Amino acid sequence: MTILSVDKLAKNYGAIKALKEVSFSVPKGAVFGILGPNGSGKTTLLGIVMSILKASGGTYKLFNEEPTDEHRKKIGTLLETPNFYHYLSAVQNLKITAAIKGRGEEDIERVLQMVNLLQRKNSAFSTYSLGMKQRLAIAAALLGNPDVLVFDEPTNGLDPVGIAEIRTLIKELAQQGKTIIMASHLLDEVEKVCSHVAILKQGNLVASGHVDEIFVHDDIVEISASDMIGLQSAANNLPGLLKISPIDGKLQLFFPMGTANLEQINSHCFSNGIVLNHLQVKRKSLESKFFELTNS
Amino acid sequence: MQQLLRTEWLKMKDYAAFKILGILFLAGVLLSNYIGWKSVQSFNDNVSTPGISSVFRPYAFDYTWQSTSWVSGLLLIIPAMLIIILVTNEFSFKTNRQNIIDGWSRAQFINVKIVIAAIFALISTVMVIITALLFGLISGDDFSLDKFENVFYFLLKAFTYNMVGLLFSVLIRRTGFAIGIFFIYLGAENLISQLLNVWSIYLRNTKDIDLGSLGDYLPMNASDGLLSFPDNPLKSMARAAMPSDYTMLVLGFAVAYILLFIWWSRKKIMNSDL
Repeated sequence: MTILSVDKLAKNYGAIKALKEVSFSVPKGAVFGILGPNGSGKTTLLGIVMSILKASGGTYKLFNEEPTDEHRKKIGTLLETPNFYHYLSAVQNLKITAAIKGRGEEDIERVLQMVNLLQRKNSAFSTYSLGMKQRLAIAAALLGNPDVLVFDEPTNGLDPVGIAEIRTLIKELAQQGKTIIMASHLLDEVEKVCSHVAILKQGNLVASGHVDEIFVHDDIVEISASDMIGLQSAANNLPGLLKISPIDGKLQLFFPMGTANLEQINSHCFSNGIVLNHLQVKRKSLESKFFELTNS
Repeated sequence: MQQLLRTEWLKMKDYAAFKILGILFLAGVLLSNYIGWKSVQSFNDNVSTPGISSVFRPYAFDYTWQSTSWVSGLLLIIPAMLIIILVTNEFSFKTNRQNIIDGWSRAQFINVKIVIAAIFALISTVMVIITALLFGLISGDDFSLDKFENVFYFLLKAFTYNMVGLLFSVLIRRTGFAIGIFFIYLGAENLISQLLNVWSIYLRNTKDIDLGSLGDYLPMNASDGLLSFPDNPLKSMARAAMPSDYTMLVLGFAVAYILLFIWWSRKKIMNSDL
């Protein structure tokens, strides 16, 4: 079953096109990352799906049906910022969430426990730190144990321990078979947590699909020798080589993922009369992959 | 709707501003009318001319309905301010978005606010009825429901104030701005209304055109104009200058404005990005 499908969704703010005919679908059980730099349209997209923004064009479906208010009650959502009544405590705020979602109040203790807020459950929201506010928002999303969760930048404002806790929590939720839609500008976060990804750039969908397909990366081996011209002609004959590019007085050799063999490269060059003074596997950094996908 | 109201109650019941303004208004109705009743009493006690005290007794039946409604009407900015605070809070906390995200429709969000504005008006009216009864019974005359229509006018006025507060909140969104503009609007409308009333008298006296008191056709003055204090000399003069009875027309305007405010605030929430 498809949990969410968006079809040519567009949103204009005056002359600015925040979202340009974006289409993709989220299968059941996926941890679906929506990745993109700030201002790429992630929150706008989720805002339309959550009915707080009006789309300028296109349609979307929830649970394979035309979207209704009842669908949103079945989805736990944290969108952009933790939104709570400042003068009320965590418990009082969650009672309101439960009332709106039509769920019982008996689940409140459990979700506060899950995000480690039980000790401060009776303090006013206004006294919380940024990280605590974020955790309360995650607790609100988890209320009633929904099968679908939408998290927009879930680790915003959290310290490193908090970030690790939330990532572990998301993985646990995914293992329970829940569908999670997560927007993030942190590639590392998406790669660690998500099974699927859609990449947005300035409102355009750049790529979408399984993480392994999108983030497929070549093996890169960096070599150098005192005779760089001889090295280049020797390297050209390497079996399985995809391409060579000179960088900073060294050569970068590209091989299909998992096929680079340092021993073979070294002996190949030596047998061609070249002695290497540098031989190193360079895994392409995720950031450069991200830039490649969202820029050039 | 019951479930929506229960949720709104959860938002309000532990809010300090709600308790303070609520008590301030309810106590204020009692207190301001007590002051009115007491000053009339001491006036009558100190005037030796026989007959006066039996003529000017605004808190005796059936005038008590009119006097209490009029005096209490002066305090209606308090519930209107409470509405503004409660509604603009939703925008500053972005809970308006969260309520929708969690599964309310936009219509549910705005409809329950309109119902709250009506409920506040009803509670204010019940308080006025209790107060009017209290001072009426103390004054010792026989119970009467004559002039009870003034209590209905009070209800209209209360609902108008609350709806203006709600509309300004939905349009302006920021608490301070909304309250500020509410007061500026109140002052401006009163001023314009006074000028229009003077013009109305001028029209009638010089051009023989009788349009009623034009100032009473403005949004907040429509429900205001229906209420007057017994024997208010200025109003009596104005009425003397305008023999025709325009009460039904003003009443029509008052109801029409309430409907306009309901339509406008619903339209704003239903159609805009939150």
